[in-house]
Amino acid sequence: MHPSDDLVHVDAATRKFPLDHSAVTALDHTSLRVAAGEFLAIAGPSGSGKSTLLNLIGCIDKPTSGRIFIDGVDTSQLSPARTTALRREKIGFVFQTFNLIPVFTAAENVEFPLLIQGVNASERRTRVTEALESVGLAARANHRPDLLSGGERQRVAVARAIVGRPALVLADEPTANLDTRNATQLIELMRDLNRRLGLTFLFSTHDQRLLEHTPRIVRLTDGRVESDTHSQGDSHGQILATCVS
Amino acid sequence: MGKFLLLAFRNVFRNRRRTVMTLMMVGGGVAGLLLVGGFFAFMFHGLRESTIRNGLGHIQIFTAEHFQRDEVHVLDTGISNWRRVAASVRTGSHVRGVAPRIDFYGMLSNGVKSSVFMGSAVEPDSERSMGFSPRIASGRDLGSNSNGEVEALIGTGVAKSMSVKVGDGLTILAVTADGALNGIDVQIVGIVNTGFKDLDDRYLRITLPSAQRLLQTDRVTNLVVGLDDTENTDSVAATLIPELRGQSQPMVIRKWIDLAAYYQQVRTLFSGIFLFLGIIVFFMVLMASVNTLLMAMFERTREIGTMLAMGTPRIWIVALFMVEATLTGLFGAAVGVFGGNLLGVALNVSGLHLPPPPGSDVPMAFKVLHVPGLMIGASLLVVISLALASILPAIRASRLQIAEALAHV
Repeated sequence: MHPSDDLVHVDAATRKFPLDHSAVTALDHTSLRVAAGEFLAIAGPSGSGKSTLLNLIGCIDKPTSGRIFIDGVDTSQLSPARTTALRREKIGFVFQTFNLIPVFTAAENVEFPLLIQGVNASERRTRVTEALESVGLAARANHRPDLLSGGERQRVAVARAIVGRPALVLADEPTANLDTRNATQLIELMRDLNRRLGLTFLFSTHDQRLLEHTPRIVRLTDGRVESDTHSQGDSHGQILATCVS
Repeated sequence: MGKFLLLAFRNVFRNRRRTVMTLMMVGGGVAGLLLVGGFFAFMFHGLRESTIRNGLGHIQIFTAEHFQRDEVHVLDTGISNWRRVAASVRTGSHVRGVAPRIDFYGMLSNGVKSSVFMGSAVEPDSERSMGFSPRIASGRDLGSNSNGEVEALIGTGVAKSMSVKVGDGLTILAVTADGALNGIDVQIVGIVNTGFKDLDDRYLRITLPSAQRLLQTDRVTNLVVGLDDTENTDSVAATLIPELRGQSQPMVIRKWIDLAAYYQQVRTLFSGIFLFLGIIVFFMVLMASVNTLLMAMFERTREIGTMLAMGTPRIWIVALFMVEATLTGLFGAAVGVFGGNLLGVALNVSGLHLPPPPGSDVPMAFKVLHVPGLMIGASLLVVISLALASILPAIRASRLQIAEALAHV
């Protein structure tokens, strides 16, 4: 398969971090291909390289060696400005700690990516309303983050990630700060958006219950891909049942 | 742009306690400048008006020769047709009056002791019509008509050194226009306190006819023009220049600012002090703001990382910090202008007085003028200080490594 056929192609990426006089290898010659529309979990214990891999795919870090292709574009060849534009146009982010702008309301937080994309005001209003409705938070649009629950904040973060209609949504441990019920609802929401809008989701997690019914799971250990499993069919309802029980 | 400004505005008030401290610091700087600058302006204004009303006038008219050569004989460069010139000038707009003057020097004696004087001969009615009354410490001003007696005003220093009081007599001696020595007896009708000790030690004032009799001339040294408002000096001077061209003697005019050397020296000195104070405030605001803004940047590291991860151009982050700092400067300036003016009003009604300045024995009122130009200048100073102070934190914020910023706790 040619790299341009995949939405994401990680080609033998290595990421080392300097530590004193040596270096720690967080990711070691890792390769991965993700097609458009996939719903993929990256699993592994702490320190296995999940966040590092997501950072590289999200173009917020650069590999020490190897290459990362996003929608056929070799990100190592891009200038900083083009890399910023690529993130703005093609990638949505969901963070473990929500990372909402505290002085903005839910609607204003969702609007921010559109603002930096230069979308006009009326179009912004329409798309913010749609995004908040799609995460079930239209009624909380004018609330600031400190007045929202953890689950609601993360749903606002998802709305913010999808409002710019990115090709790829990256979520780093999105359920880590949520209780089981909210975690389940969030995964259900992401899966629903994946199906309904055809959005590609890559998320990292080490919650075994959530992984059981994810269609594709890439397991990392010590910075290497240990396994890459695909399961046919989706028993998302079972995820809910498992988690709630 | 609106949302961007909204974000900056809300960020300013995000940490209220810190914002209040910053606004107090910035506002304090502005208020300090307004109070000091307002006091200096009051001082300049007071000095200007007292200089003018102590007899300098707004404009003085001389013969051109007066500045071109030294006099061989007393008043040989004086104005001969001064009545016609004065009548012509008096018809101009904004002119309150025109007073002829003779400046002369000589000796005065009480029969026991002699002293040098700096004399000024005036027309009392003309002087009074312009509000140029001397500050009488005791006695009265010169009368327009005397009953054969030559009236004189002397300074407090003269009275003290000559051991004379109101009602006593003195003899004054001076060189006439022909070079001879002449003398007249005068009666002291008032003792004057000009506010300047050196002047009070030599001060003598008599009426113009008395001086002309003493000096045996019908000329005057100059004509002093008094206006309704000092601000009209330039416009009146501009109209006088062509008007004086038709006179038999070539004439020149001098505005009060050209003649008030002491005023200019004081103004230069205090302007330098104010500039120094402004520089201190500028650096005080700059250094304190850099620290505050760096703290704010540190606290918002993860948020900035998030914005950068979403694809926010780095220049937006720089602009955000600079706009926030500029807004803080504007709010601080508003606080300072309000607070400074309020304090100024309080000081003005308190009736505070300062000890007499050097060369004077009159306590000085402590008042603060509300000067719009000063308010704008001080506000601009702090806004620029804060905008400059934000450059370092803004650039640091924009250069954050996104992955590291997102991991910041």
